[in-house]
Amino acid sequence: MDVLTLNGITKYYGKIRALNNVSFSVPEGSVFGILGPNGSGKTTMLGIIMDILRPTSGSFLFFGAPPTGAIRRQIGTLLETPNFYHYLSGERNLRIAAEIKGKGLDQIDEVLHKVNLYQRKTSKFSTYSLGMKQRLAIASCLLGDPKVLVFDEPTNGLDPVGIAEIRELIKSIAAEGKTIIMASHLLDEVEKVCTHVGILKIGNLLAAGKVDEVLVNEDIVEIGAANMQSLEQALHSLNGYTTIKKQNEYIQLLFPVGLANLEKINVHCFNNGIVLNHLRLKKKSLETKFLELTNQ
Amino acid sequence: MLQLLKIEWLKVKNYRTFWILSTLYLLSIWGINYIVYVIQWKIYHDKNAGDAAKLFLGGPPYAFPKVWAMTSYVSSFLLFIAGLLIIIIVTNEFSFKTHRQNIIDGQTRTQFIVTKLVCGVVVALVSTLFVFLTAMFFGLTAESSDFSFENFQYIFYFFLQALSYCWLAVFFSLLFKRSGISIGVFFLYTIVLENVLVQALNHYANGSGKYLPIQSSDELLPLPFLEKVQQQISPNEVNTTLQLALVLAYLAAYFFFSKRKFETDDL
Repeated sequence: MDVLTLNGITKYYGKIRALNNVSFSVPEGSVFGILGPNGSGKTTMLGIIMDILRPTSGSFLFFGAPPTGAIRRQIGTLLETPNFYHYLSGERNLRIAAEIKGKGLDQIDEVLHKVNLYQRKTSKFSTYSLGMKQRLAIASCLLGDPKVLVFDEPTNGLDPVGIAEIRELIKSIAAEGKTIIMASHLLDEVEKVCTHVGILKIGNLLAAGKVDEVLVNEDIVEIGAANMQSLEQALHSLNGYTTIKKQNEYIQLLFPVGLANLEKINVHCFNNGIVLNHLRLKKKSLETKFLELTNQ
Repeated sequence: MLQLLKIEWLKVKNYRTFWILSTLYLLSIWGINYIVYVIQWKIYHDKNAGDAAKLFLGGPPYAFPKVWAMTSYVSSFLLFIAGLLIIIIVTNEFSFKTHRQNIIDGQTRTQFIVTKLVCGVVVALVSTLFVFLTAMFFGLTAESSDFSFENFQYIFYFFLQALSYCWLAVFFSLLFKRSGISIGVFFLYTIVLENVLVQALNHYANGSGKYLPIQSSDELLPLPFLEKVQQQISPNEVNTTLQLALVLAYLAAYFFFSKRKFETDDL
């Protein structure tokens, strides 16, 4: 069963179109990354499913049913920035969240431990650093054991240790079989934790599906020799690659992931009378792939 | 609703600004009446003023049954502070973006805004209770005063006016969202601008100033001096039924428009 289904969501801010007819589904138990550059409509989309923003047109379903407050109580959400009462302590802020959710009052200490904020629980929210505020927001999401978590840029403002901790936390939540919907502009974040991905670009959904289907990866082999022309001729008789690209100093061969065999290429060229002066395997980064997708 | 009010209680319980202002406001209800009482007492006992003072005040100051009308009238000048309290608790949500977080955590938009309006009722009720206690205090200590519930309806009119201020404050907060501009516009409108409009309308539009939002409840609490003289100068009596209907209509409008605005806006 799908946790969330979007049907043709469109959102205009005045004349600016923030989302254009976006439709996709989030399967249960997946970690669904919503990927897109700044201003692509990620937060707008999450705002709409949380009833903070009104879609201009289109609809969405949670667990196959129209959204209600009761359903939102089953979802832990961190949207954009941590929103808390500045004059209250972290603990008291969580108490308000738990009262609204109607559950999790007995878990306040537990979630504060989970995000390493227990020592500062009686300090006012206004005295927290950016990273601490972010961690309090994540703690608030965890109250009441929600089945679904929605994170908008969850590692925003965290230091490298904090980022690693949050990623571990997300992975451990996912391992419990919970569904996570996560917006990010950080590719490696999506690559490291997500099972599914949707790519947004200025309000249009470019692709959605499993990570390894959407972000197909390739191996790149750079090859160089003194005589580039005969090298190119020799390579034409090599098989296994998908694309050949000529560059200034090298020739690039593109292989499906894991299928590039440097020894084989070296032997093939030598047998064809060519001595290589450069042979290198480059993993194509997701970033390149992402830029390719969003530059279409 | 009790659960929702409990959540509001958690929000203000440790909010010092709110408690300092509330305490000073409630003390001032007693204080402003004390000032007026002292002035009236001096006029009443001024030998040179003689019968003119008795005519002016129509009896000993703050004695029953007049004390209900007097305290309600005098205290109503402080109602802009009740509005200020409401503006603070509503615009705080906007500046901390906690109105969004409350919805995200599972409140419905309707629950959120109706709870804020009910907070307005609570502030109006507490204000009215203090006006009642203040009236009791002065009535029971004033000279030649026998306890009486005659004119007690003025306490109810005070409640209606307090609620008008509070719900207008909710509406202004939703409209402007920032506390500074909401407070500025609310003070200037209720203290100065509407009174200018009232004078202008009364002068140019056949006394229609009494139909304006705050003035319509002001009319229910007329100046409790000089009644006898006033009746001779301007014979047009206050039409209580009409003014009550107007006040209720305005209250319904604040409720409806605040609710609809919060339910349909992007938050």
